[in-house]
Amino acid sequence: MRIAWACGAGALVFTIVSARLVDLHVAKHEEYSRFAAEKNTVRQIIPAKRGLILDRNGDKLAVNLPVHTVFADASHIKDPESISELAARYLDLKESEVAEKIGTGGKYLVLKRKVPDESVLKLQAEMRERNLRGIYTEVDSIRAYPNGSMLGHVLGYLNHERKGVQGIERTMEKHLAGEDGYRYTERDRTGREIVLYRGQEQEPKHGKNIRLTIDMGLQAILEEEIDATYRDLKPHTVNAVMVDPKTGEILAMASRPSYDPNSPGSTDPETMKNRSIIDMVEPGSTFKIVVTAGALNERTVDEKSTIFCENGRFFYGGRTLKDHNGYGHMSVHDIMVKSSNIGCAKMAMMMGGEKFHEYVRRFGFGERLGIELPGEIPGLVHPPSRWDKLTITRMPMGHSVAVTPLQITMGMAVIANGGSLMAPQVVKSIESQDGEVERKQPRVVREVVPEKTARFVSNSLAAVTQPGGTATFARVNGFDVAGKTGTAQKVSEKGGYAPGKYVVSFVGYMPAEDPRFVCLVMVDDAKISSGLNYGGLVAAPIFSRIAERSARHLDLVPNRPAIALQPDPITASLKAAEGTR
Amino acid sequence: MNLALQTPAPQASNPIQAAKVAKFVALTFLIGAFGLAYVYLKNQQFVLAEQIRKTERQIRDVQSRNEVLIARVTELSSRPALQRRVTEKFISVVAITGDKIARLTPPVLATENGVIRTALNSEPAQ
Repeated sequence: MRIAWACGAGALVFTIVSARLVDLHVAKHEEYSRFAAEKNTVRQIIPAKRGLILDRNGDKLAVNLPVHTVFADASHIKDPESISELAARYLDLKESEVAEKIGTGGKYLVLKRKVPDESVLKLQAEMRERNLRGIYTEVDSIRAYPNGSMLGHVLGYLNHERKGVQGIERTMEKHLAGEDGYRYTERDRTGREIVLYRGQEQEPKHGKNIRLTIDMGLQAILEEEIDATYRDLKPHTVNAVMVDPKTGEILAMASRPSYDPNSPGSTDPETMKNRSIIDMVEPGSTFKIVVTAGALNERTVDEKSTIFCENGRFFYGGRTLKDHNGYGHMSVHDIMVKSSNIGCAKMAMMMGGEKFHEYVRRFGFGERLGIELPGEIPGLVHPPSRWDKLTITRMPMGHSVAVTPLQITMGMAVIANGGSLMAPQVVKSIESQDGEVERKQPRVVREVVPEKTARFVSNSLAAVTQPGGTATFARVNGFDVAGKTGTAQKVSEKGGYAPGKYVVSFVGYMPAEDPRFVCLVMVDDAKISSGLNYGGLVAAPIFSRIAERSARHLDLVPNRPAIALQPDPITASLKAAEGTR
Repeated sequence: MNLALQTPAPQASNPIQAAKVAKFVALTFLIGAFGLAYVYLKNQQFVLAEQIRKTERQIRDVQSRNEVLIARVTELSSRPALQRRVTEKFISVVAITGDKIARLTPPVLATENGVIRTALNSEPAQ
């Protein structure tokens, strides 16, 4: 009987235990599985690699540099002293600081961020060797720009969340960033992943590479020349833009002052402005191509027409408009070559304000051209209804209008390419990691003038650089250069014009008969005497040097006999000043 | 005396049923083998998983080092770095003058017919 009771009790106990086991394993399976998963499963982020930025020839302009965030889990540390000593040695920290952090007992104590890969590898190797644990790392990466400040305005930079905040990094963010992947996995009590229990996994989608239209060879030439100008003439700003007139591709673009995107935090925000697209200036005489092309196209004048230039003084609207020299009757060609303000004003008056304004807009002034860079402004072109009586005489010579350096360059490209306004583009293609390439096609915004008109204006512009023109210092040995100088008094922040301050420019193209590039050089408020501060004396020689070196880079074959180029007066005066020191 | 009565009665015996024992032993071994195989395979899975983890770490380390080296090479071969070396006279660059360039296939000049090329058109416009 007692045996029976004992057996019964044993059976009951086993039944209860079994029932509990069934309850745990079957009835509450879902609940406890979820509980276990919550406790041990982690969602591990697999970071996507940000795409690279390349120049048109594949030179790397922005790359990723792997770094680590090193943190300690105090609950895993058995030998705090050794750990503190190791961390201090490899992470360049104070041992006492590390010990203090570990002493708090936290599970995620960041010891140092942005630690280079090599330091982490050495630290981990020694920890393995000494059988220590408690220091872990998270892979991170920083963006590096190997060329330093070169092309900084175009490239932009990232903020601390690795989001693009300027330049291409910002406009191409959605292509460059990619998409992080993830993996559900479990860890043991020491924090090590149990690979066997990996669950759902999503591969990261790495960012696409962006290939720019920029040619770093040309960019280097441009930057060297404007660097020298910024150093020697101490202007407020210098801008230079080079484009392929037939496609609208930006070959080079630079501004001074500039900044290094590797350390944007230590930079004055003013230096971060890409002034080629966000600064407005009165263009000066470079704008005369608009009225000339418009008047020819509207048949207001023809190639043989002459205009009386009032011997240099034209009284209109209560003010006198002056030319640099007194000219009488001049052809349209000569008006361009001599850069006659009066001749251009009269052409605009003959065209009428509405028509002239239409051509200003057709050339792309007063609108955003759509370059893939942030912050482009449209400039300022008032409609005729808001003009005063003088505007019709001032706007043809590039006053009473505000444009960006890029607009001037693209406007000149209209003449260089035979009459089409091209959309400027700085992105050549978007290339995915699996080799898929999305090419950006050149886009014609509109046909501005027919080719015949463009050719006539082009011939006049080619004469501008010949003896007798205003830009002889823009000549390049072995090539025909076409272009136009601009000298505009600087607009004062207080209103009106700032006395003695000028924005001087030269925008030209080469070879004149089949242009490979259009290049603008603009110098704002160079610190030289007013007698020398002209586009033809300051900006034209810079253009000449850039064009000569670019011709060699592009392997252009000289097709004109060699000419003796005289030293420009600015260089001569700088050398003289150097000699007297 | 009846001899037959003196013959000891035959003892009740349980003969070993070899076939059944063999079945039982085989089944036991089979279950044991399954169990051991399961444990062995599970263990192997853990070992392999650990190897995967280590290999992944090695790959990550190598990739990481590779990226560092790519960045370093890019930096060292960047234009400012090369320019610096030229300035320091570490590299000597001699400009090639125009008369030293022999052109095997000189590009055709677009000036032959005096017509400028139009946008998006590599051929001179007629």
